[in-house]
Amino acid sequence: MVSSNRRAAIEFVLDHLVWFILFVVLVLFSLTIPNYFQIGIFANIVEQSTFVGTLAIGLSLLIIAGYMDLSIESVMALAAMVVGILFAKSGVGLGFGFTPAWLVVPISLAIALSVGAIVGASNAFFVVRLKMNSFIVTLAAYIWGRGLVVALSGGRSAQELPSELRFLAVERFLQIPLMAWIAIIATLVFAFILNRTPFGRHLLMIGGNPTAAYRAGIKVDRLTATTFVLAGSIAGLAGWLLAIRTSGATANLGVGMLFQTFAAVVIGGVSLKGGVGSLPGVYAGVLLLASIQTAINLMGMPAHFTQLIQGGMVLVAVLLDTMKLGIRKRLA
Amino acid sequence: MKRLMGVLAGAVVLGAATFLTPAAWAADKGKVYYLVPTLLDEFQTGSVTAITKFMKDVGYETVALNADNKTDVQQGQMNDVIALKPSAIVLAAVDFNALKPQIEAARAAGIPVMQFDRQITSTKSDLTSVAGTVEIGHVAAAEIERLLKEKNGSVKGKVLQVLGDPGDPYTLDIQKGFEEKLKAFPDVTIISKPAMQWEASNAGSIVADQLLANPDIDLIFVHAAHLSVAAVASLEAAGKKPGDVLLVSSNGAPVGLDLIRKGWQQVEVEQPLFAQAAALAMFADKVVNKQEIKPGTYDVLGLEGVVTNEEWGPNIKIPGAAITKANVDDPRFWGNMKTPEAPVKSVE
Repeated sequence: MVSSNRRAAIEFVLDHLVWFILFVVLVLFSLTIPNYFQIGIFANIVEQSTFVGTLAIGLSLLIIAGYMDLSIESVMALAAMVVGILFAKSGVGLGFGFTPAWLVVPISLAIALSVGAIVGASNAFFVVRLKMNSFIVTLAAYIWGRGLVVALSGGRSAQELPSELRFLAVERFLQIPLMAWIAIIATLVFAFILNRTPFGRHLLMIGGNPTAAYRAGIKVDRLTATTFVLAGSIAGLAGWLLAIRTSGATANLGVGMLFQTFAAVVIGGVSLKGGVGSLPGVYAGVLLLASIQTAINLMGMPAHFTQLIQGGMVLVAVLLDTMKLGIRKRLA
Repeated sequence: MKRLMGVLAGAVVLGAATFLTPAAWAADKGKVYYLVPTLLDEFQTGSVTAITKFMKDVGYETVALNADNKTDVQQGQMNDVIALKPSAIVLAAVDFNALKPQIEAARAAGIPVMQFDRQITSTKSDLTSVAGTVEIGHVAAAEIERLLKEKNGSVKGKVLQVLGDPGDPYTLDIQKGFEEKLKAFPDVTIISKPAMQWEASNAGSIVADQLLANPDIDLIFVHAAHLSVAAVASLEAAGKKPGDVLLVSSNGAPVGLDLIRKGWQQVEVEQPLFAQAAALAMFADKVVNKQEIKPGTYDVLGLEGVVTNEEWGPNIKIPGAAITKANVDDPRFWGNMKTPEAPVKSVE
């Protein structure tokens, strides 16, 4: 018989396991890798988590609701390229500006969000209205999205975004660039929405059991469609931030981030079966991957090990998830 | 309904006949298929424009097929193109070794194969036109030697080398050339890190991390200009000003030239894209007609191309140039995106 205090402690550890792992990894790296233990490096880890972290919000929401979205990486690249083409000054950039200049920030953001929302709405139409499989629909969107990036840019890059946008990457608060704060705030806002609002609770219910959710009076289709549009818009936000970080866009921008995002989401404790997951946990997963990447950047380890380690971590995360279920069953 | 179907079928047959009739498509001397490895960077897209233009100058129509950086896709394209029996194939291989069977199959079918930009030495080709990636490393090393000497009084200091994807022999060759030249200077420390998948934000992260771990970095050498843009973004975010950390890049893309103009970058080592493409067109007739290509020096768009007979066939190597603030506006550099207007002439 497990005492209630001990049970509560075990539950707490299980719920926040990824944070404990992150802490252990950071301590381990700080002790063993020269130059790792410094505020600047930790700020870099947070900065590098910006894009995968933002993408992971939308992906988590959809997976929690019981769906897949493979298109997010292409949506991010597409939004970045559209912003680059419109606002960058060199390459394929047209260098549009506005008076007053600060309007560039909200207008470019609105454009990036709209690009994402349009693709999200298209995904929603096929999945919700036509009842097509979300994996296949978003896979198609992933492919045509990348194709559209190449077609729009002609394979060329758009470079040199105006300083009104670049300041988000250059200016810092507590050593962390403003754009990374945007990702953190977005995570907190959506964590609140997921856990403290009817929308979030309904999403968890849909992911857990869509039939039961429907019978409980939840507008499953409408909520699912909204989530697809949200996920697209959030990917658009990630693209906007990525363009700002790299001061423009190249046709291969963000290649491979989809898999990192999936890895982070799984490591962060989101169940691929739907209905389970928390955004702070996902953010910890993102930080964990970024801290390993940074360690590899600082060590003499060949880069090939990055993917090996990340793949291994996903397996470990799934294994831990299974173990957690077993422990919880025994506690119940 | 039957009638409608009949009309539709007739229209399709008529359209296909018009579309596929050789007279509708064939240029004077036939088609050349250019198998481009990817269209995700300016060099590759520029190569399509340049090869199409120069081949047209000498009477060939060019059809470009993009392999999206996938070896299996390019192998399939080669097989398809062999079945179409074109006048020649121009191949910029995704993978240096994996395309060997297809090259041999094409040549066995009587279709000459020309290699563009990426040298395949494991089998014979009918012509290879390259800048010499190892040589690009050599040129970069010489420029870096000069820059370090100007900065530190002698050839010493810390260099961060940002490679492209470690699976791409192009970047490994540059690294090889660069490091073998700098071996002569033991006071130069080189830190090498690859930007996976040639992705700019990966390069930015490497620079950001290394600036903290090694704040005394004197110079950053990146293997592609689009990566140098991300490197500059990280330098800027770290509060650096143009010239605080020296920057050298390779391939000669427009963005690299812009960074030189703005003072962020000191040198761009060019891959002579126009000349490499023009060399193919100059010798296309000889290749198609299976005539001998004589070794020697040839003027290729004002650059000195040297043809040698190698084990893998005739090979023309055109040296890459170092671009600095002094010559950055020279229109012969492909990064200035002015494809030479004068027509290329076939070598007699």
